[in-house]
Amino acid sequence: MEKVAIKNSVKKVVAKVLKIAETEIADNANYIFALGADSMQRMLLIAAVEEEFNIEMDVEKAQEVQTIDGAVDFISNYL
Amino acid sequence: MYRPLNLQEIKTLELRGCSSENWSSIEVRDPFCAGRLRNVKFAGNVQLGSNDGFTYFNEYISKPSGITNCFVKNCIIGDNVFLSDIKVLANYRIGNYAFIENVGNLALFGKTAFGNGHEINILNESGGRELVIFDKLSSQIAYLLVVYRHNPELINKLKLLISEYVTSRLSTTGTIGEYTIIQNSQQIINTEIGSFCKITGVLKLQEGTVKSNKSAPVFIGEGVTAENFIILSGSKIDGGAILTSTFVGQGVQIGKQFSADNSAFFSNCEAYHGEACSIFAGPYTVTHHKSTLLIAGMFSFYNAGSGTNQSNHMYKLGPVHHGIVERGSKTGSFSYMLWPSRVGAFTVVMDKHTGNFDSSGFPFSYISVENGKSVLTPAMNLFTVGTARDSKKWPARDQRTDVEKTDLIDYNIFNPCTIQKMITAARLLEHLYRTTSDNREFIYHKGLYINRLMLRTSKRLYELAINLYLCGEIVKKLEQQKLNKIEEVKEILRPLKNVHHSSCWVDIGGMIALRDNLNDLTESVITGKTDTIEKLDEEFRNIHSGCEKYSYSWSINTLQEVMGIDINTLTKTTLTELVSTWNNSTIKFNKMVLKDAEKEFDQMSRIAYGPDGDENEKQADFESVRGKYESNSFIAGIQKELQNTEERYNELLKRIEKLPG
Repeated sequence: MEKVAIKNSVKKVVAKVLKIAETEIADNANYIFALGADSMQRMLLIAAVEEEFNIEMDVEKAQEVQTIDGAVDFISNYL
Repeated sequence: MYRPLNLQEIKTLELRGCSSENWSSIEVRDPFCAGRLRNVKFAGNVQLGSNDGFTYFNEYISKPSGITNCFVKNCIIGDNVFLSDIKVLANYRIGNYAFIENVGNLALFGKTAFGNGHEINILNESGGRELVIFDKLSSQIAYLLVVYRHNPELINKLKLLISEYVTSRLSTTGTIGEYTIIQNSQQIINTEIGSFCKITGVLKLQEGTVKSNKSAPVFIGEGVTAENFIILSGSKIDGGAILTSTFVGQGVQIGKQFSADNSAFFSNCEAYHGEACSIFAGPYTVTHHKSTLLIAGMFSFYNAGSGTNQSNHMYKLGPVHHGIVERGSKTGSFSYMLWPSRVGAFTVVMDKHTGNFDSSGFPFSYISVENGKSVLTPAMNLFTVGTARDSKKWPARDQRTDVEKTDLIDYNIFNPCTIQKMITAARLLEHLYRTTSDNREFIYHKGLYINRLMLRTSKRLYELAINLYLCGEIVKKLEQQKLNKIEEVKEILRPLKNVHHSSCWVDIGGMIALRDNLNDLTESVITGKTDTIEKLDEEFRNIHSGCEKYSYSWSINTLQEVMGIDINTLTKTTLTELVSTWNNSTIKFNKMVLKDAEKEFDQMSRIAYGPDGDENEKQADFESVRGKYESNSFIAGIQKELQNTEERYNELLKRIEKLPG
């Protein structure tokens, strides 16, 4: 899967979970500081990404991911 | 020992303003100095101990023993006692070296059991779960009395055992123990006070027992009012606290204008500022803030945020409902719950919940509100630094210094009780995931909404904790033994036959127990085999001391059920896998806790630091006050634990590899 496609899907998931517009999400946006995700939403993001890409991630390592770009790289490892 | 006063002594006493209805009713013990009494009016029979020494107020101040400005009726006064300005002292036995000064009435009227046998309405404010309080009450006995109302035979027998004890406590004479200090207090009526107690400035103590002793003295301070109460050793009641029909266990602290009515506080509770009504405050129930009302609830290892509140009626048939907040839970500031509800162990409740819910099947969760709905996020509180810190802080904060501890307490956050719940929860989450349509955002379960997306993730988090615990039990067992042959290892690991995976575990007032063991105990009470409070206490202690071996056996049988591991067919490979699973789970668990702890040092946590400075000053201010992540003692502890885990793992692997075959 192309990274651009992964990024678009990640943005779609983030927008849905955090209830914000996809256009508000920059590539290097930090989930917590730029997009305001709290700890429960971060866990929900991991779950939503898993469902979107039909993968099972290492939750501990997934929690370390801070940005959209970081998420794209991380998810690529599972595809 | 005691002798009548001689004429010279009577003359001396009269010259010093003393009088008696009948001097022949006054006896003394030598060495007796009549010159150390002044303005004392005697009535009835009084025995005075020797008084040639000094009474110690504290290590710096002592006063010559004696009695001044007192009315004393029907009392036995111990040796070297200091009594001064007591309006009425009647029907009491005063222990040696007691120091009592400036007290209104210290008297016993009629006959009393000193608060023993008084019934309080726990949980259901309108009654139905009456707890009989007495000075040997443990949280375990209280649990049976309050919770096991489905077993009326047991309740009747328990009440009978207690009433026999209460009868033995009935008396027409009260006791103030040796070395006890009572000062500047107004009314102390029908109250038994142990030794080494310090009471200062109380307004009223009536119908109660204060079980103080040398190793665990009790302090009762300014403005306290207590009626129909029991206070056990090592506790501190202060700051204008008002206790009505209340039991206070060992090492409890209540103060800062807290008021409690029909409530029981067991070991190490702390209650300040707020209010409690009809609560069962199990060990380590903590409420520190104003506007916090705990009502009609059962708690343990609990922390109430400011403004926490519950309702126990629904404006229909009165205050008849109650709630259970299982061990280790917290309620956020201004959280509200409508009873009846039940909160699972180690759960954080935030926001206002205006519907009834039951999350007892999902320990270690978050419960919050989203668009007016109560939302459950299962397993969310498993890996938080707060939970990990709590598990370490409770044993360190045990305030009980008494040699005899009344409550039996298990501290481990992962225990058969919580693990059993997690196993069931993981299965339920899997089932819900498989049977719920993808287009549903939430699943409704027992009054709570669970986000569908969380079903699989929460299940995996639970599984991590389950593996950590179950495999950890094997690791602990192997580490204690020599490993020579695989057949010997099988024998070492073999569980008890009578503990099965399906055996149910319960948390009874802070103690973990097999339901089967508890059933045996209740049966023993019903049949009359256990026929005294002492024997009942002993039975609980036996269950408590056997808990470790039962936990182990349950874990091994559960491993077979959950992971398909059969001890009888164990090989080096499966042993290695089990130990590796433990290692991986423990490392992952601790790393997630560390990750959570990082938030306490991140950008958000620094917001209010260096408010008028630049970035460098902000950082310097933060580090000066909070320190650095790396040097935080809790973080360092977890990191050390990670290192120990790795070392233990490698050591055990080496030993397994050496096994022949």
